[in-house]
Amino acid sequence: MNDYVIDVDRVSIRFNLASEKVDNLKEYAIKLMKHELMFQEFLALQDVSLKVKKGESWGLIGTNGSGKSTLLKTISGILQPYKGTVTTKGTIAPLIELGAGFDGNLTGRENIYLNGMVLGHSRKFMDEHFDEIVQFANLKKFLDSPIKNFSSGMKARLGFSVATVVNPDILIVDEVLEVGDYNFRRRCQERMQQMLAGGTTLLFVSHNIQTVKNLCDNAIWLDKGVVRMAGPSELVCNAYKEEQDRIAKEKKEEKRRKLREAKKPYDYLIVGAGLYGAVFASEMTKKGKRCLVIDKRDHIGGNVYTKDVDGIQVHQYGAHIFHTSDKQVWNYVNKLTEFNNYINSPVAVYKDELYNLPFNMNTFSRLWNLRTPKEVQAKIQEQIADLHITEPQNLEEQALSLVGTDVYEKLIKGYTEKQWGRDCRELPAFIIRRLPLRFTYNNNYFNDRYQGIPVGGYTQMVEKLLDNIDVMLETDFFTYRKEHPEMFKKVVYTGMIDEYFDYCYGHLEYRTVRFETERLEEENHQGNAVVNYTEREVPYTRVIEHKHFAPEEEREHPKDFTIISREYSTEWKPGIEPYYPVNDEKNSALYEQYAELAKKEKDVIFGGRLGQYKYYDMDKVIRAALDAVNEAGRK
Amino acid sequence: MNLLKYRIKTFFKYQDLVRELVQRDLKLKYRRSFLGYLWSVLNPLLIMIVLTVVFSNLFNKSIKNFPVYLFTGRMLYDFLKASTTNAMKSVTGNAALLKKVYIPKYIFTFAKVTSCMVDMVLSMGALLIVMVVTRAPFYWQFLLCPVVILQLYIFCCGLGFLLAELTVFFRDMQYIYNAVLTAWLYLTPIMYPLDALKDVKPLVILIKGFNPLYYYVAQFRDLIYYGRLPGPRVFFGGWIIAFVMLGIGVCCFQKAKDKFILYI
Repeated sequence: MNDYVIDVDRVSIRFNLASEKVDNLKEYAIKLMKHELMFQEFLALQDVSLKVKKGESWGLIGTNGSGKSTLLKTISGILQPYKGTVTTKGTIAPLIELGAGFDGNLTGRENIYLNGMVLGHSRKFMDEHFDEIVQFANLKKFLDSPIKNFSSGMKARLGFSVATVVNPDILIVDEVLEVGDYNFRRRCQERMQQMLAGGTTLLFVSHNIQTVKNLCDNAIWLDKGVVRMAGPSELVCNAYKEEQDRIAKEKKEEKRRKLREAKKPYDYLIVGAGLYGAVFASEMTKKGKRCLVIDKRDHIGGNVYTKDVDGIQVHQYGAHIFHTSDKQVWNYVNKLTEFNNYINSPVAVYKDELYNLPFNMNTFSRLWNLRTPKEVQAKIQEQIADLHITEPQNLEEQALSLVGTDVYEKLIKGYTEKQWGRDCRELPAFIIRRLPLRFTYNNNYFNDRYQGIPVGGYTQMVEKLLDNIDVMLETDFFTYRKEHPEMFKKVVYTGMIDEYFDYCYGHLEYRTVRFETERLEEENHQGNAVVNYTEREVPYTRVIEHKHFAPEEEREHPKDFTIISREYSTEWKPGIEPYYPVNDEKNSALYEQYAELAKKEKDVIFGGRLGQYKYYDMDKVIRAALDAVNEAGRK
Repeated sequence: MNLLKYRIKTFFKYQDLVRELVQRDLKLKYRRSFLGYLWSVLNPLLIMIVLTVVFSNLFNKSIKNFPVYLFTGRMLYDFLKASTTNAMKSVTGNAALLKKVYIPKYIFTFAKVTSCMVDMVLSMGALLIVMVVTRAPFYWQFLLCPVVILQLYIFCCGLGFLLAELTVFFRDMQYIYNAVLTAWLYLTPIMYPLDALKDVKPLVILIKGFNPLYYYVAQFRDLIYYGRLPGPRVFFGGWIIAFVMLGIGVCCFQKAKDKFILYI
């Protein structure tokens, strides 16, 4: 003897698919005489086996017409197998359609009895459990009105209550919980969980993969009547979802290919596959516009691009830590990809001393061996007062008047000089307006509410955005425009605005950085993702150890090598990678001139850091792109 | 043997359902109508009056107390007609339910015939009224009429199963059967005495030998109208025909029931 409660053994179910169904004697006789009686067989299930032990929960997944309901019906005895055998043990409560067998003309009360007996209960049993059913369905008021006046939700509630009044050995549920309000669905789920805990075996069909995962330990995937996969639900559901996504993607790609071949012009040509361009393209596509994204680089993502080097996500264009207080943007990116809980807490190295950043109580207590905020504030005030600076003439004096001697000398001076390539006394005071000092022991660099880094890197997040959008890499906008002027209606330009206008007013300036990336055969080089070097004598400004951006990956797959990037500040000249716009008076004025020109370009949207000559955090650039989409929609 | 035991067990498991279905039929039939159950009585009574007015003149001489004569025949025929036509549609009409829950399919057929039988028993009230009004004599044999009703009930169940099965595969059965029913009505001595046909010998033999309804009508009239015990030929014939019909019906039904789901 085996201990299976449901044993489906190589079952096939056959239907007649004859194009014209002969269901009357007259036609039957005619066809018989003409020898036209056809039997076109269709196997709704083929060689399906499923063995379920007591207390297990199985989800049935598959596309429409894959045979899920047929299998359930076979198990509940409604359909007889054409080949193979089905054996079940114990009572079955089939929830294949809630309220099947309700008679619209009878009252709620009468229907409860009728339905209960349809399910095989005795009158005595129904008498005993009547109150319980009414209570769960919460329909006491309507018991004596005919059921044809009930809403579909009410009927479903009543049906579910009747069907689950016993603790059946086997509960069969076929997508019935999709109707009904939230509250009812929740109660149904609770009831099913209770039954499961009580040893009931569950068979569950749903198109909602998440529900299947939550409710079932195991899953079976049917495809055109054949078992594709059976096993732990997580595994099967994921495989199924992957396939569904793949098919959907292929279909979309096919459609895109056809349009491409037809040389139909794009609604938007988006220059630059960075965050701005990708978000814009993604949102516009959702609105039904056709977009083409081009980028002169050989990868998407712009500066947020992360390169997978043997499992370590290398931030090719410097450390990118996503932080925002914009809840909508945070939800937006979280829908795209999963974020880890990385919190940026860089440290600064000065000679052989190490300090926490940003300037906070940890930093100060290390500097002066003080413990309370009051002592620290007094110390800083004392240092500032000693200097007698009334009107700071340069950056050094400005900084000193804000934080005092020690912090400035050890943590600001050398770093700033390296950044700008000049002595602090030669730098204008306005570069530093304020230096936030934090009088708490908190090393979180950012003040934003949400923070993290996409698990698996930024590239796949951008890939997700550009899913289902035509992308051409290593394509220069100016060349493309010359060669295919008819292929697009509007342009979104996220490149350098001065380049767009052929530098007619001269070059805008940028602050730029250079990275020296190195692979080291050691497990952990510096113990932190970001370490700043504040000494003037050390040539680089900071060292990034990329693996520490993804602590979760390192926990799961420890690696015995590491990748670090040393960051150098470099003088910018036309032609090298621009990073940060320099928002001094000269450049701002120059940008204003270009912005005037940009206004006249009716069919071009200038966006992003280079297109608007403006420093954007990632969240801000996403917000700007979303706003631009709305703006374009209004016009 | 085990199978039989299992069948009987499931039948008892669903007996409450049968009762519920019968109650539903009756309830729905009379719900919200002013006179309620009285219709079961009034309906045949009204038809009776019409038929009596027309036919009593026709066969005036040969039949005394024509209303009771007509009623005893007509009642059984009505039951046969109602139960079998309802039974025919019992499987196809419950398709929605049968596709969703496992229930032995014969339950519906069985319930339909049963509810018609209950309906007929209720209309016995009309018969009593007619008998009282026409001052017909009451015989003690009257008390035996449940035996005849039982025979006919078994017969109708059998015929109902057969028709229900055929209807699943051939929807036009109901039209064919309607024609059969009409013929059946006239080939049964309900409105006329069998003696009226004595000149057409083969027809009398046909009716006496091959019309099952004749056996039940004859027994019924013996008990109520003539006040005598039925002869052995009709009595045993009635039982045998009932069980043969039931046998045929059940066999056909059982053989085909697994295929029903594909056709409804």
